[in-house]
Amino acid sequence: MSTIGQALTVEHLSKRFGKVHAVQDLSFSVEPGRVTGFLGPNGSGKTTTLRCMLGLVRPTSGAARIGGHVYRDLDHPGMIVGAALEASGFHPGRTARGHLRVISDALGLPKSRADEVLELVGLADSAGRKAGGFSLGMRQRLSLAAALVGDPGILILDEPANGLDPEGIAWLRGLLRGLAREGKTVLVSSHVLSEVQQTVDDVVIISRGSLVQSGTLADLAGNGAIRVRVRTPRRESLVAALQASSGGNPPTSVDPTGPDELLVTGLTPSDIGRRAFLAGVELHELAQQTNDLESLFLELTATGTPGGTA
Amino acid sequence: MIPLLRSELRKVTTTKVLFFLTLAVAFFTALNVFLLVYLTPRAMGVENNDELLMNPDYVTNIIGAAGSSSIFVLILGIVAMTGEFRHMTITSTLLVTPRRSRVLITKGIIFLIIGAVIGLIAFATAIALATLTLSGKAHAPIDTDIALQILGGVVLGFAIYAFVGVAVGALIRNQVAAVVGALIWVLILEALLTVFVDWIGKWLPGGALDAVLQATNVSGRGGSEVLSIGAGAAVLITYAVILGALASATTMRRDIT
Ligand SMILES: Nc1ncnc2c1ncn2[C@@H]1O[C@H](COP(=O)(O)OP(=O)(O)OP(=O)(O)O)[C@@H](O)[C@H]1O
Ligand SMILES: [Mg+2]
Repeated sequence: MSTIGQALTVEHLSKRFGKVHAVQDLSFSVEPGRVTGFLGPNGSGKTTTLRCMLGLVRPTSGAARIGGHVYRDLDHPGMIVGAALEASGFHPGRTARGHLRVISDALGLPKSRADEVLELVGLADSAGRKAGGFSLGMRQRLSLAAALVGDPGILILDEPANGLDPEGIAWLRGLLRGLAREGKTVLVSSHVLSEVQQTVDDVVIISRGSLVQSGTLADLAGNGAIRVRVRTPRRESLVAALQASSGGNPPTSVDPTGPDELLVTGLTPSDIGRRAFLAGVELHELAQQTNDLESLFLELTATGTPGGTA
Repeated sequence: MIPLLRSELRKVTTTKVLFFLTLAVAFFTALNVFLLVYLTPRAMGVENNDELLMNPDYVTNIIGAAGSSSIFVLILGIVAMTGEFRHMTITSTLLVTPRRSRVLITKGIIFLIIGAVIGLIAFATAIALATLTLSGKAHAPIDTDIALQILGGVVLGFAIYAFVGVAVGALIRNQVAAVVGALIWVLILEALLTVFVDWIGKWLPGGALDAVLQATNVSGRGGSEVLSIGAGAAVLITYAVILGALASATTMRRDIT
């Protein structure tokens, strides 16, 4: 049993809580078959947006649609969308199995489904324990299990990696990648890009309730452009050598960053080394820069304090 | 609808509230039977219990102890509904059933049933203990017809009262506020109101419940008049429906955050 996902669309979504503009004119879409990271700093409106998508919060204006329908109009929403919003939605006196059976009952699924998903999230041994005694990571796993009960084609997870141990994070990554490979739609929020960097195909970045950027992760990283720092006592000769048409493709850009330093974009270190060697230019350093997405993310979202009031 | 009813039922059977409140009902019913059989005659200055126990109305009132713990049933409904907000299980409930009034109706139906079952348990406790404690004493016979009327009243009354509790809980989402508010209403405000405006008493929720439970208490509500059983039930259901509709239009529409 495996359901194919549908697209999620957010159209000019705005939500105000009194004076707080939690979400402002936000539009983006999420495609099936991919894992999409929904990123933004604390208070940027991620949870609010997800709750709007799920019919829990009424938008001030705009709409969020699931395969073209608002959540309330879906026929069997629990079989179409699985959501894990936070780790706190459990009755403390109810066992993990009991919690999941409440859901599987409502979806008309057999009782055995609860144990299946508990097994899947690694909680089989704690099935009979009360959720009130669960650790943060266990609660996260139980939330995830609840989202998976209906084997939905769409998964919406709010900071699912919070509280998971490294092993748990790696496992979650594998799970989400696998679900996307099956054609499901997976939307995962996080306030740390590096946390989801290895998991997501697409990113939607928001800050203070507004869209900052959306697209593929590769786009965000600058189309995979390689940046190389070069130190040489003969800076000008090296610039000439790199840009000489005889050498092959020209670099995208060559920027002097110091008296004996250049930042070259669009050429690999070996390219640069070879051209320098052919031109007889002495090199002191040739270092590929890691694409530091995290600082890029910080830069993109650093637009002031969270939860803008206007 | 059936899956949702099963899910609502599962919610109550997977926590302890139902068990403890049912236990409380049984305990208080038992306590009342004991008080009526052993202590009240003495407290009333009757040297010899025979006099009272020989009175058929008094025996009816002993079995009528079945209706004495209605308040727990009201609280059960309140706790079940407000618990959804308190523990935020309302999120997963609404994810499966985004139509909120449907959640309210399903829960209402389940608590009608649960209330009826608790009423049955209360009656069984009362009749069993009354039979037990009265045996060996000279007492007026237990009239089967009257016993059946008590059974019907308690089952119907408790069923609707649990349903009222759900509606109250939907309107007042804060668990403590809802329980305390309901207790203050039932124990103080309604009695006060009735003192000042006599005719209003029978139309208030407690008065309507008294009407449904009238078989349990021969002397009635301190002599003040009550509606017929059917009218009482209708009034009580109307309260539940009005409270539920009000909740649907207000508190149940709120953002779940
Ligand atoms: N029920 C509410 N009442 C008032 N303000 C709210 C409510 N819910 C959210 N907000 C405000 O809306 C803004 C966005 O909050 P939201 O929870 O969506 O952020 P978030 O991106 O999920 O943050 P985090 O990373 O901390 O989870 C915040 O300023 C928050 O205080
Ligand atoms: Mg959040």
